[in-house]
Amino acid sequence: MATYVDFDRVQYMADLGVKAPLCRLHFCRHCMKLRSTDCVSHEIDSHYCPHCFENMSPAEAKLKKNKCASCFECPSCFHTLSTRATGAPNPGDDPSRPAGRKVYYMGCGFCRWTTKVAGIPNQTVGSGAWSEKENTNSERINTLMEYFQQLAAIEKQEKDKKKFIRRKSFIPFSEKFGLSSTRKRASINPGLSSLSLKENPKVMDIEPAEASEQIEELSDEFIKNPLKLNEMTTLKQRLATPHFQPNFFSELYPRHKNLLTQRSLRCKECEHNVIKPEFNPCSIKYRIQLVAIYHVPEIRLFSQPNLEIGKETQVILTLLNPFDYAVTVTVHELKEAVFNAELSLPECDLSLPARDETAEFDDCAANQDFQDDPSVVTFRKSNKLGFFIKVTPKPSAAGAKVVIPFQIRYNYRNMTASSALTDPTAYETVSLQQSVFVDLGDLNSTAA
Amino acid sequence: MTKPSIKLGPGALVCLDCDIQGDVTIGARSIVHPKARIIADAGPIIIGENNLIEERAEIYNRKIDETPNQTVVIIGNSNLFEVGCYSEALKIGDNNIIESKARLGRETELTNGCVVGAGCSIFNREVLQENLIISGSNCERRVQFDRPQPQSLQLDFLHKMLPNYHYIRKKKERDTQSLKN
Repeated sequence: MATYVDFDRVQYMADLGVKAPLCRLHFCRHCMKLRSTDCVSHEIDSHYCPHCFENMSPAEAKLKKNKCASCFECPSCFHTLSTRATGAPNPGDDPSRPAGRKVYYMGCGFCRWTTKVAGIPNQTVGSGAWSEKENTNSERINTLMEYFQQLAAIEKQEKDKKKFIRRKSFIPFSEKFGLSSTRKRASINPGLSSLSLKENPKVMDIEPAEASEQIEELSDEFIKNPLKLNEMTTLKQRLATPHFQPNFFSELYPRHKNLLTQRSLRCKECEHNVIKPEFNPCSIKYRIQLVAIYHVPEIRLFSQPNLEIGKETQVILTLLNPFDYAVTVTVHELKEAVFNAELSLPECDLSLPARDETAEFDDCAANQDFQDDPSVVTFRKSNKLGFFIKVTPKPSAAGAKVVIPFQIRYNYRNMTASSALTDPTAYETVSLQQSVFVDLGDLNSTAA
Repeated sequence: MTKPSIKLGPGALVCLDCDIQGDVTIGARSIVHPKARIIADAGPIIIGENNLIEERAEIYNRKIDETPNQTVVIIGNSNLFEVGCYSEALKIGDNNIIESKARLGRETELTNGCVVGAGCSIFNREVLQENLIISGSNCERRVQFDRPQPQSLQLDFLHKMLPNYHYIRKKKERDTQSLKN
């Protein structure tokens, strides 16, 4: 239980007091700390198309408006469109000519939308060459973009100017280094004129948008004809193409597929990479993959306990060793935490053998010799063991979930870069501690 | 339950490993895959020509207490019942496609060229207009301007391939059945 479905039940404390299940956390090997997704910086490595896996740089993606040039998706259900071939019908004037030529159209395998519905003529080549619907406002948008780019340039220039003036007031550069003559030269040189202080930059004129008094009259069709909902687009379909916002299905046009990003994560404190994928978007491998689940012993809730206020209950937790070496874990109280149950934690050490991937296929696994206290350790199986903790819910737990906090301490073998250079098997052992919060669920309602 | 009586048209291909109960007529060149269920409880089921009924598709003529009279399920030509679909509809026209895991209620009537998308359930009392396409988790509707293509290539292929791998209901049985009637 509580492993794949209820994984939120056991949470680890990451930096800045963020609590998250172990599978959502990262482990920075250089800070030796858990990092949540919010506490790492996300960097976009590259953009890629989720359909054809074409890879492009952020600048190129920006130029293409973050869309793939060759892949399309269905405007009706947003599924990827596939290209289909069909025989071309005979040209009308020459019925004797054989219809050997293939023509192509695009269709959606899910909702059966095709480019024929949009009135797009069939293509003679399989890919590319699909006509784009012309945006009537594109000219106006381009002028506005140009205008605002100019404004931005001026703003930046003024900012630079301010910096310059302030500096000038403190240190008389021109006198000290004889810069006045170079400045004079700069004002003559047209290439540097943008840096000149005196010149007023020119901004192109644009026509401001005007509100029109006249409104197009509502055509009689809206009143006379019955509304055919089967021919109308949904709001989601309309807003998917904000520049057209088609009202009818027949006006839908195939959309270019949006690009996805491949990201690497970086620890904000030490600026080392926590996650770094391979450059190729097809690859599912990572160059650096510091997922917490491989670097921190995992605690799981074995079964749902039956809790009552003031009654001591034994709760079984499972402990897993993810390392390829034996580890000894001790469980301690978390002093500063406020919680609604009395805890009695095991005082002995919990030692676990190394993780062995083949162990589960091995029927007669070597019996490990561990002198376990049967009042603490309930079972043992390869790199996993179950242990008891005694929980007595306080009266304050009524109506709330019983959450028990504790701390685990263990030794972590860190392969540092410097030591790995001299001896690849070298490591340094660090004692680490993690705060764990286990949600034991509600109190037993029948007991009240 | 009525006594089983299965009538097959010329060239109809019905696998032995399917569950057919009651009075069922299957038209010429129609194909019924193994593990399909055609249950005629409340009256006959008449299936037209060139239909393709895939594995685990279920076609019912269901008995309901309020209607003691016999009902007839009539299915037209060139329909496709995909894997795992379920239909109680009393009237289905031509060139329809019932996709995988789609469900059709008793009160629903399909005209021609309709597509009921994968996983869509229609149980309303209504007549679906021609070339209507229902798809998606919200059963969104749209009218296509032409009918879906008939599955003639697939039918020809199955006519060749199915007898190689499955036991086929023999023609003889059909003849004896029709003689009895």
